[in-house]
Amino acid sequence: MSVRLIARLDIKMSNLIKGVQMEGWRKMGDPADRARKYYAEGADELLYMDVVASLYERNNLVDIVRDVATDAFVPMTVGGGIDSLEAAKALLDVGADKVAVNTAATKRPSLLNEISDTYGSQALVLSVEAKALPSGGWTAMTDNGRNHTGRDVLAWVEEAATRGVGEFLITSIDRDGVGRGADLDLVSAVTDAVDVPVIAAGGLASAEHVREAVARGVSAVAIAKALHTDALSLIDLRQELARTGTSVRPFAMEEAPGV
Amino acid sequence: MTMRHTDPRKDDFDYGSYAPDATNPKAFYGLPEEVRFCSRCVISNQRPNSTVEHKHKADSKKTTIRLDEDGVCDACRTAEQKQEIDWDERRRELQALCDKYRSRNGSYDCLVPGSGGKDSFYQSWMLKYEFGMNPLTTTWAPHVYTDWGWRNFNRWIHSGFDNYLLTPNGRVKRLITRLAVENLFHPFQPFIFGQKSLAPKLAARFDIPLIFYGENEAEYGNPIADNASAQRDYAYFTTSDDSEIFLGGTSIQSLREDYGVREADLEVYRPSNPEELRAKGIEVHYLGYYLKWHPQAAYYFAVENGGFEASPERTPGTYSKYNSIDDRIDDLHYYTTYIKFGIGRATYDASQEVRSGDIEREEGVALIRRYDGEFPERFADELMQYLSLPEAEFPEASRLFEAPVMDRAYFDALARRFRSPHLWTYSDGGWKLRRTVFARN
Repeated sequence: MSVRLIARLDIKMSNLIKGVQMEGWRKMGDPADRARKYYAEGADELLYMDVVASLYERNNLVDIVRDVATDAFVPMTVGGGIDSLEAAKALLDVGADKVAVNTAATKRPSLLNEISDTYGSQALVLSVEAKALPSGGWTAMTDNGRNHTGRDVLAWVEEAATRGVGEFLITSIDRDGVGRGADLDLVSAVTDAVDVPVIAAGGLASAEHVREAVARGVSAVAIAKALHTDALSLIDLRQELARTGTSVRPFAMEEAPGV
Repeated sequence: MTMRHTDPRKDDFDYGSYAPDATNPKAFYGLPEEVRFCSRCVISNQRPNSTVEHKHKADSKKTTIRLDEDGVCDACRTAEQKQEIDWDERRRELQALCDKYRSRNGSYDCLVPGSGGKDSFYQSWMLKYEFGMNPLTTTWAPHVYTDWGWRNFNRWIHSGFDNYLLTPNGRVKRLITRLAVENLFHPFQPFIFGQKSLAPKLAARFDIPLIFYGENEAEYGNPIADNASAQRDYAYFTTSDDSEIFLGGTSIQSLREDYGVREADLEVYRPSNPEELRAKGIEVHYLGYYLKWHPQAAYYFAVENGGFEASPERTPGTYSKYNSIDDRIDDLHYYTTYIKFGIGRATYDASQEVRSGDIEREEGVALIRRYDGEFPERFADELMQYLSLPEAEFPEASRLFEAPVMDRAYFDALARRFRSPHLWTYSDGGWKLRRTVFARN
């Protein structure tokens, strides 16, 4: 199986933003422009997260998803503030292929069953923000690492796997925006715990980081800051991975239709 | 004999002036009677300026942040002026200052007070590695370190600095903190004494001629005129007259005679002697005068260079994880500012971030609506214990309190005494602010 390279875009209203340890957000540009750029450079998927959805109690990404969906033909996952079937439907209707759920599911896990029963597991991603505990293990958080859920990450993914989740997005809060590689212990623990595809996120900024994560059993990686700052390009990353023996989808720039 | 510190739970509290329809409700602390909010950031005109804490008594009147005719606060004007400043020129001024004082004989040439927070990293690193200075760092311990605050403090020191850490006598600090809460509802005050005066005293002791603090308080709303100078006014940390010194709103003499504190245990709280500082030519500068200060950038700098960790959760009462995270009592501090001035931690944090251009005003308003004034449950039990003065540990001081042990009911009852009627209403068993930035009533 080829590892999927996912461009992650955290969005605050009209701005692409990025923080460090999910804190201190900086504006990084226009989210639609960046999404098209990543698509043109061969992103296997696009992932949008509305970071202020829970603050404003609504997902604000419908317009941008609709806009980008007209000319970026790769799977799109959208998260942030999805707390009902209706909220999921609103995003799926405008072109999202999957929805990513966090806060609402931690409060009402049956939401996962509802979405997977209605739209299928392939449309449901559970987003987990994992904070390493000094005593070992990880705790699941919400609101970009601000609020506790009281849930142990491994127990939570095990439960969620029984509720029809098709994929796990595991973001290390500690590694987020730091650019020094994923929390590999976390990645291993999750891939060992569940038999569902896992996306590693938080700290991945090089081909080496991707290889390390793949060796721990992930199906995909989500990269944000390294792309937003142009420290890394998806084209170079894909070539480097292919050259060093990590299976990736072959891609040439002219293959991105509509750009 | 009436008890000096009566149990607030037994107050015959007059709720009348807190009625929603009360006419001309009284304003405490000399606060402006009409609550207004800055049109650019989210601060209210109730924000007090920094005071000379060792003169702070229960009946002290506040001066507050100025809003100009356009409804813009002084802190926003300061932020605006920052855009006009020729920072290259300021950097050359700093270079010249450093060239004048740089040590060539292996001695320290400047003193950098810091907690190990994000700003400490930035200050000390810039001076040592960009400007070639030889700083000694010094830390006045928080009341009670958070775990992450302690780890960050150690990361800071071990990223390349010598440090003197002064941890004051815990019992005396608890007593002064209790008095500061009881008299001023200001649990953070005992920290401020050392924060302002420890460095000048150490500098005098070690003959270090230059002290660098970080930001100027004007960035947060002190009079703009304060910001025009690179140096901090001696008044904030010196006095030569013992009768002028109040700790927790209590005179030095009373602390000795009534509360059983020994003279030597008060030494660390005393301001420094201005004559000695003048004689030694010690200057206290703000690095923020010379280098453009951006709190978020200092956070990035600290993570990048020193492995600084944000707190593992948002601080109660706000959304933030990078700012002022090393003292457990901070949680309570911002809760008390919410009670006294209607300004909680989210308001302070959001105001700063709006001014810095990191968040929009609308977002700040939403964050305040969501988080401001939240009671800090996470360390509450520990903090109530910290504020308690059991007889076994405080044989003399405890006798002056009708109820030496602080618990949540005591704390909430005490809070009532400090709620200004012009800010608060009481109805149906609950307190509400008369005006908020989000309701715009």
